[in-house]
Amino acid sequence: MNQTPETGKSLDPVTFEVLKNSFITTVDQMAEQMLRTCYSFVIYNRDFSNALHDAEGNSIAQGNYDIAVHVGTLHNTCKEVIRHFEGDMAPGDVYAINDPYAGGTHFSDVRLVRPIFDEDKLIGFSQSNGHWSDLGGSVPGSFDVTARDMFREGMRITPVRLFHKGRFCSDVANLIAAQTRDPASIIGDIHSQAQATHVAEREILRLVRKYGRDQVTRGMEEVQDYVERAVRKRIAELPDGTWETVDYIDRDPTGGEGMIPIRIKMTIKGDEITYDFTGSHPTIGSMYNSAPGATFSAVVAGTKTFFPDLPLNSGFYRMIKVTAPKNSVVSAEWPVAVTGFLMPFEKIMNAIFEMWSKIMPERAIACAFNLEYLLAGGRDARKPEKPIFMFYEWLPGGWGGRNGKDGADVTTACFGTGLMSQPNEGNERVNPTRTTEFQIKQDSAGPGKWRGGVGVQKTSLLLEAEGAVMSYICDRERAVVWGVEGGLPSMPHGLTLKRAGSDEPTWLGSVFSDHPVHTGDEFARPTAGGGGFGDPLERDPKKVMEDVIDDYVSVARAAVDYGVVIREIDRDLCAFEIDEAATEAKRAEIRAARTDWARSDPQEVSRRYKAGEIDALDAIRQYATILDWETGEVLPKTTEQFRESYEKRTIAHWS
Amino acid sequence: MTKTRVAVDVGGTFTDICIMDEETGAIRIEKTASTPHDPMQAIMNGIEQGRIDLPDVSMFSHGTTVATNALITRRLPRAAMVCTEGFRDVVEIRRANKEDLWDTYKDVAKPYIPRRDRLTVRERVDATGAILQSLNEDDARRVAEVLKKREVKAVAVCFMNSYVNGANERRMREILAEVLPDVPVSVSSEVMPEIFEHERFSTTMANAVCAPVVVNYVSRLGEKLADAGYKRDLLLLHSGGGVMTPASVRDFSARLAGSGIAAGAIASRFIGNLCGFPNSIGFDMGGTSTDVSLAYAGEPRITKDWYIEYGYPIRFPSIEVLTIGAGGGSLAWQDEGGSLRNGPQSAGAHPGPACYKNGNKTATNTDANVVLGRLGTSLAGGKITLDPSLAREAVHDTVAAPFGMELHEAAEAIVSVANANMANAVRLLSISRGYDPRDFALVAFGGAGALHGAAVAKELSIPTVIVPPNPGVTSALGCLLVDVQHDFSDSFMADASSVAPEDMEGAFGRMEAQAVERLTHEGVAEADMALQRSVEMMYQGQWRALSVPAPAKVESVSALVDAFHAEHEREFNFRREDAPVSIFRVAVKAVGIVPKADLPKHQVSAHTPQTVGRREVWFEGRAHDAALYQRDDLKAGATFSGPAIVEQFDSTTVVPPGMAASVDAFMNILITTKG
Repeated sequence: MNQTPETGKSLDPVTFEVLKNSFITTVDQMAEQMLRTCYSFVIYNRDFSNALHDAEGNSIAQGNYDIAVHVGTLHNTCKEVIRHFEGDMAPGDVYAINDPYAGGTHFSDVRLVRPIFDEDKLIGFSQSNGHWSDLGGSVPGSFDVTARDMFREGMRITPVRLFHKGRFCSDVANLIAAQTRDPASIIGDIHSQAQATHVAEREILRLVRKYGRDQVTRGMEEVQDYVERAVRKRIAELPDGTWETVDYIDRDPTGGEGMIPIRIKMTIKGDEITYDFTGSHPTIGSMYNSAPGATFSAVVAGTKTFFPDLPLNSGFYRMIKVTAPKNSVVSAEWPVAVTGFLMPFEKIMNAIFEMWSKIMPERAIACAFNLEYLLAGGRDARKPEKPIFMFYEWLPGGWGGRNGKDGADVTTACFGTGLMSQPNEGNERVNPTRTTEFQIKQDSAGPGKWRGGVGVQKTSLLLEAEGAVMSYICDRERAVVWGVEGGLPSMPHGLTLKRAGSDEPTWLGSVFSDHPVHTGDEFARPTAGGGGFGDPLERDPKKVMEDVIDDYVSVARAAVDYGVVIREIDRDLCAFEIDEAATEAKRAEIRAARTDWARSDPQEVSRRYKAGEIDALDAIRQYATILDWETGEVLPKTTEQFRESYEKRTIAHWS
Repeated sequence: MTKTRVAVDVGGTFTDICIMDEETGAIRIEKTASTPHDPMQAIMNGIEQGRIDLPDVSMFSHGTTVATNALITRRLPRAAMVCTEGFRDVVEIRRANKEDLWDTYKDVAKPYIPRRDRLTVRERVDATGAILQSLNEDDARRVAEVLKKREVKAVAVCFMNSYVNGANERRMREILAEVLPDVPVSVSSEVMPEIFEHERFSTTMANAVCAPVVVNYVSRLGEKLADAGYKRDLLLLHSGGGVMTPASVRDFSARLAGSGIAAGAIASRFIGNLCGFPNSIGFDMGGTSTDVSLAYAGEPRITKDWYIEYGYPIRFPSIEVLTIGAGGGSLAWQDEGGSLRNGPQSAGAHPGPACYKNGNKTATNTDANVVLGRLGTSLAGGKITLDPSLAREAVHDTVAAPFGMELHEAAEAIVSVANANMANAVRLLSISRGYDPRDFALVAFGGAGALHGAAVAKELSIPTVIVPPNPGVTSALGCLLVDVQHDFSDSFMADASSVAPEDMEGAFGRMEAQAVERLTHEGVAEADMALQRSVEMMYQGQWRALSVPAPAKVESVSALVDAFHAEHEREFNFRREDAPVSIFRVAVKAVGIVPKADLPKHQVSAHTPQTVGRREVWFEGRAHDAALYQRDDLKAGATFSGPAIVEQFDSTTVVPPGMAASVDAFMNILITTKG
């Protein structure tokens, strides 16, 4: 706290601090405006960000509650707008862009960018990015997992003018809205976002009047230098070194069995960090690819997690270098489909969590559950006019166990911690669905000395509907959420469907598109808990018993996963007891055998699974084997990859 | 024997008692040390100290932190929740978001009722209110028996879609009442009949866990006051800015969770109105934080988005108060990027600022103000002496040396950063809600409000600052100036173009009948009842509604729609005349007017007051020779100009150079920020 600040700083400390805070307050005001006026329920549930930029398009401030996934991409789209309109911008203009191939995320994230002029001098930009409810394409919500290129995904908006000198270009706006399933909301969101950028213009001009143009533009540069200085200083204090890891996407639907590796080598040298993705898999035949802008964003979001207190702007990006092989799953180019970029995104974040956990053990964390996103649509036959309904929803799950602390229970996905889950009463009012269950999933947490957070299960019934189809965007059905430091994995993601009149649920897994569903069908979606941290046999048996009392953990799995034998005395009074002797014996038994279990013949595991002797949790946690969860067949290459991870992250840490 | 009114505001450090003579309107203040282990003790001490004769008290109102503290400290009795099967975790799943997006080690707290005490029964209502499954009474009795065995002290009943039909919930309560006759039960469809299960359940949960604590406290205090001769109902200030009687506390205990914080905002609004400023911003700066509130056209700004702990909304309408970590004790520091920061860390009451001589070496706002000469070194009538050399040392070591500044420059930098942070907070509550600060007066109070108020107002171009007569105890005054108030709301989801005025009239009528019933139950005479209607609307497809006032008889829905367009434009800067408008909710604010005594008005005669001395005070980089006044010497009509310092027992007022000040008939100091 007492080092001398660098010399040559041109703003006095007070003006600097005032401008820095005012920039952030301005972006928070933009957020407030959007939240109160938006139409897209995705935006309403906080899938949006705002930013201020300098005249070159660099980010100078992002909001306090902006979601992680947009970090590190907003400057790209601002710069792309500048490239298109340089010399042809006027006060009152607003432009739209959603282009992932120009550094954006995916089509759904539409950004509105407004140039800010002081008299006739361009001094900066404000940008408002919101996830629109639909952008056309083959399926409601514009998430077609089978898309291999952008042409069936939805509308790509390269920079286009939506307001010209304050006049709304309704022709262009209507053209855009007409490509979507929800044109009225799209027009509403254009107004909502345009006004948010206007709020920023007003505030920046107020600052200009008070401090003068030069001071404000200088402030825009200095806030970036400030963040850069703070991050470089912290990185310089860390030892130089290289860390490597790999995480996986489940599969390439157009390829053979086997998981899709994303390899990262991180090098810290002096005050710089390099992330090298050499060895990552080529692009795959689904929309689960990431373009370079989104990959950079994932790197920034993962890294930023270890510097939670620092403000975010382009200064943060200056010491980070990313290299990736051309046309890999993390560096896709036009026209490869990238709408599902969040799948590689979360793998990158978790891999970065793992590497930084070694560097900062006091902030260590195991793997978090994977984002899951359900999109259903059709006609709502409850009403005589049978209007189109669109039901999109994501669920929270568990985050990884931590060093000295269990993982966070039921928390929104790591790609966007600001995101909110949706109320069931809202669902039921708007869509022909009824929720029959929305509760914590027992035994979903990855066991560990510090267990992962718990996930949930939501089960819904489709009511009167016609022509309804369902798509499911998820992953880690096979690349199951992993533990670290000896902790165990949690459980596979995947949806099961029970047809009307049938008692037999069908496992549809974690990725499918355009699946027809009918009135009376019931679909259940669990989310995984977080991975465990540390050896579960070292967990305090009292903590295990508390988890049993709260039904987070079953009595049966307390014994299997933790070796803790618990007896029920009176459930009505929450009275349980630990059988100390039996626990000691059970733990000794597990300790002696578990390494062999995890290396046992996968075919034998498959046989026992099919015979009903063991379940999926046993196969994963005790036998490190990945099966086709519907048929029980072994997935040999996947199991081999999974075991490599299990050996490194789990077995190697058992004493 | 003259009648008095008594208002008590219990704070963390002091309990303030405001005593008003009903005939003359004269107010006196008693201050006594708070007794956090049992707040009642300080109240009784204060009554004794103030020689209050309880048989002569015609109104005893009370702002209490009992509910707030119980929720914050989680010292709560064991409570249970009964839920629809499959939905026991609504309050644990919440909306799944986090307060701190980036800190993976900082979690949202667990719900007030743990999972083990959330039990389920079979029942189901659908979104239209149709009962798909009646309450399974075997389940209900089984659950009631379990809760009896567990000896729970309160129960929340939270069923899906009960906002449209609460029949199953009510039946559950009947069964609970049979088995657990003495346990208070909060039923979600009555506590907060609104769509969205988490928000409704969370409010009901907070209500349930607070009930035993609050009921116990209120009945004990009521008994003590009655024993001492007080004959009326004890009035309790709630978050909405009104009071309620003990008769309502059992059912709406969580309304007291915002009790303490509302008092300052009420007082601020009252003072603003009194001085002819129906638009006013309350600026209550204390030792560790500043509370900002806003009144527009004489009415406080109300929010339903608030909570005691993040993640657990309490949806009762509440006066909107924005709290930021900037107070007299806030610490100045240099961060690793080399920036000068101020707060939110605070030296607190102990060790306090460096000049308090308790060992803190880091500069605080108070230290900076001492260095600048804005704050004197003898406070509270000489009870507290500050050490200016320690203040100088701290400012030097914390800021002047590391930034290469001269001492006074550094002190001014500290204060400027604090002022800018507070100005940003005011901006969030005003400009970002579509209000122009230039149309407002700033009411500066709290221990440090008057020290910083003029500078913050200038930063925001607010033309007038009002410093009330006793800035340090203004909140207690707020407790004195209240009416009985209850808020009712009901879902009313419809397309505005298809709503018949009679239907809306019917919905209002039902709520108003309830309102009259509750006010009558509290002893309010019909002549003193005032019912204010409002309608929440939005553009079809939007997710947040805006509230507009509705007339006592709804004759045209299109007039309401016009009012909505106008309000949308005022608040958000755009309207969509062509877009369809939806109605979301109807609400009634029921007020039982408590006749107010007038504050004493003094004869105003323009004069120049006597100074008690002069002092060197620093502003904008140089020392000024400032006039020094004693507040007690300032009579109505006194006018003076800055630079000037006004000292009084509980506060110091700074009038910067170029500003003019005057004292009005109510003994407020009005500072005009423009020279």
